[in-house]
Amino acid sequence: MGVDRQLGALMPSTTLRIGDHEYRVDTIDGRVTVDGVEVEPPQRALAVADGDTRWVFFDGEVYEFEVQRTGRRRGTAHQGSLSAPMPATVRKINVAPGDAVNKGDTLLVLEAMKMELPIRAPSTGTVKTVSCTEGQLVQPGVVLVELE
Amino acid sequence: MTIGRVLIANRGEIAIRVTRACREAGIETVAVYSDADVDAPHVRAADRAVRIGAAAPSESYLNIPVIIEAAIGTGCDALHPGYGFLSERAAFAAACEEAGVIFIGPTADTIERMGSKVGARALMEQAGVPVVPGVTPADQSNAGLLAAVRSIGFPALVKASAGGGGKGMRTVDADAVAAEMIDGARRESMAAFGDGTLYVERLVRRPRHVEIQVFGDAHGRIVHLFERECSIQRRHQKVIEESPSPALTPRIRAEMGAAAVAAARAVNYRSAGTVEFLVDGAGDAAQFYFLEMNTRLQVEHPVTEAVAGVDLVRAQLAVAEGAPLPWTQESLTQRGHAIECRVYAEDPAAGFLPQAGRLLLYREPSGPGIRVDAGIVEGREVPVTYDPMLAKLTVHAETRAAAIDRAIVALRQYAVLGIRTNIAFLIRVLDHPSFRSGDLHTGFIDQHLDALTVRPEPSTALAGVAALAGTSSVRSTAHTAERVKPAADPWASIDSWGR
Repeated sequence: MGVDRQLGALMPSTTLRIGDHEYRVDTIDGRVTVDGVEVEPPQRALAVADGDTRWVFFDGEVYEFEVQRTGRRRGTAHQGSLSAPMPATVRKINVAPGDAVNKGDTLLVLEAMKMELPIRAPSTGTVKTVSCTEGQLVQPGVVLVELE
Repeated sequence: MTIGRVLIANRGEIAIRVTRACREAGIETVAVYSDADVDAPHVRAADRAVRIGAAAPSESYLNIPVIIEAAIGTGCDALHPGYGFLSERAAFAAACEEAGVIFIGPTADTIERMGSKVGARALMEQAGVPVVPGVTPADQSNAGLLAAVRSIGFPALVKASAGGGGKGMRTVDADAVAAEMIDGARRESMAAFGDGTLYVERLVRRPRHVEIQVFGDAHGRIVHLFERECSIQRRHQKVIEESPSPALTPRIRAEMGAAAVAAARAVNYRSAGTVEFLVDGAGDAAQFYFLEMNTRLQVEHPVTEAVAGVDLVRAQLAVAEGAPLPWTQESLTQRGHAIECRVYAEDPAAGFLPQAGRLLLYREPSGPGIRVDAGIVEGREVPVTYDPMLAKLTVHAETRAAAIDRAIVALRQYAVLGIRTNIAFLIRVLDHPSFRSGDLHTGFIDQHLDALTVRPEPSTALAGVAALAGTSSVRSTAHTAERVKPAADPWASIDSWGR
């Protein structure tokens, strides 16, 4: 898909975020400025886009920038809900709805890539829901346990 | 006896490694694959391929009858097990022998005798090889295991009796967590090896992990091919291995070599094997203890291939055909310095959490003294089902310092995007002053964890690169960017992931 110099010139400014840092990038006539200062993209850097993530490789380090879009915030899970960070199998469930848990308690154990991944309570509270069963294959982002 | 066709009962980089050696020896290869590996690089590398079942290892790469049937059905006269999966199952070697298929490795009897930690230990004590104090309690209940832990003393290691590779292993350093640790070890042990029997052992503080490569032939000749220092580990999984070990004096090296050969001789060892030792202390006063014997080719065998100038897999093929060892002990020397770095799909900053997903961009380094063994290609999905090791980078140079520099520069050229890896972490380990000075022990990563897992700020110029990645104006990567479909974001929940 060709975005040529002309279109590049029309490219609106992009805001990217890593951690707490935001970078405002403008492209004007093929020249790139970051926060108003012209930069020269390093020759050996490599980058790919994946949805709103921009993966950048340079000298052995990898940076994951997130494109910030106005009016569309990335849906973040509720404070008390815990989900798998990757596809995994639920190996063991230690809690049931109504159970009181302390910060650091192991709520359930997932298994992925032959490793066990304990899911621990991020804070003290009560188990509201458990929405998985032992042996179930779960996908990332799907809520497994909710605390309140 | 000449081998004409080999079935490779494995996947990933090791299957490709074995395929390459077979081809050099003029031997045909048959790959096996699960539903998760249709069209995987190891499948494409072989002359033929046979589907052996569903993605779950128990239904494919661990399914003995189906694999034996594949070997017979394709007219293979030998089978190479690689490492992991069935490579250390005596029943598998026996099934091959019964089916008239040569098992490229030791005999079933050898695997059996070394496979049980209890039996191996007794055998080693008999053979005069020093061992670490430990016990497999007859009472395998939590109470029985806890009693054993207390008698050995804290901290103790609880680990799979049948195991290896750090699976099913836990450190118990207090009564309070003992039950959870024992349960976890038993479950992992059951899942990985189909056997939940646990072994309890004294944990040596700040030990080094040094292993000796051994090799035997069918005529009773056994040699060692020096050591590999494997102290850089996390969660009992090796991360960086090197040879020579910066810690061994010539005297200790010779003593360990002799002990390893004695260990191998005690089980009539045939083919490539490794005797693992814990090393306590330094200089000529260092003590070493037999840990276990891995009755197979090791992940880190390229380190030995580099410093000894040998091809261990070709030698395995020759020995399996009944040929005598291609070397004598006197003909073997250690030359230069080799370092292997294991590239894992994992996030070191999030407790080394394994990662899965699609490789959006994958560029390997190359150059003099650089070897990459990989089982992956750009554009493919890294499945969640198998081991998170993506590739191995092995470098060889004249000195340890030069090998470290070479490894760092190679890693700085090793671009993997789309999945988080430990590459930047590996660079920080290699560049750490304590690593450079050779001050290694198995707790190295935990000790220096904060320094090794920092996430540096990108330069502002890289924000420019990132912004351009969404357009086609970044040369050489635009095509990749266009091909990639937005995928489900596994990190959406990373904030709520307890750690």
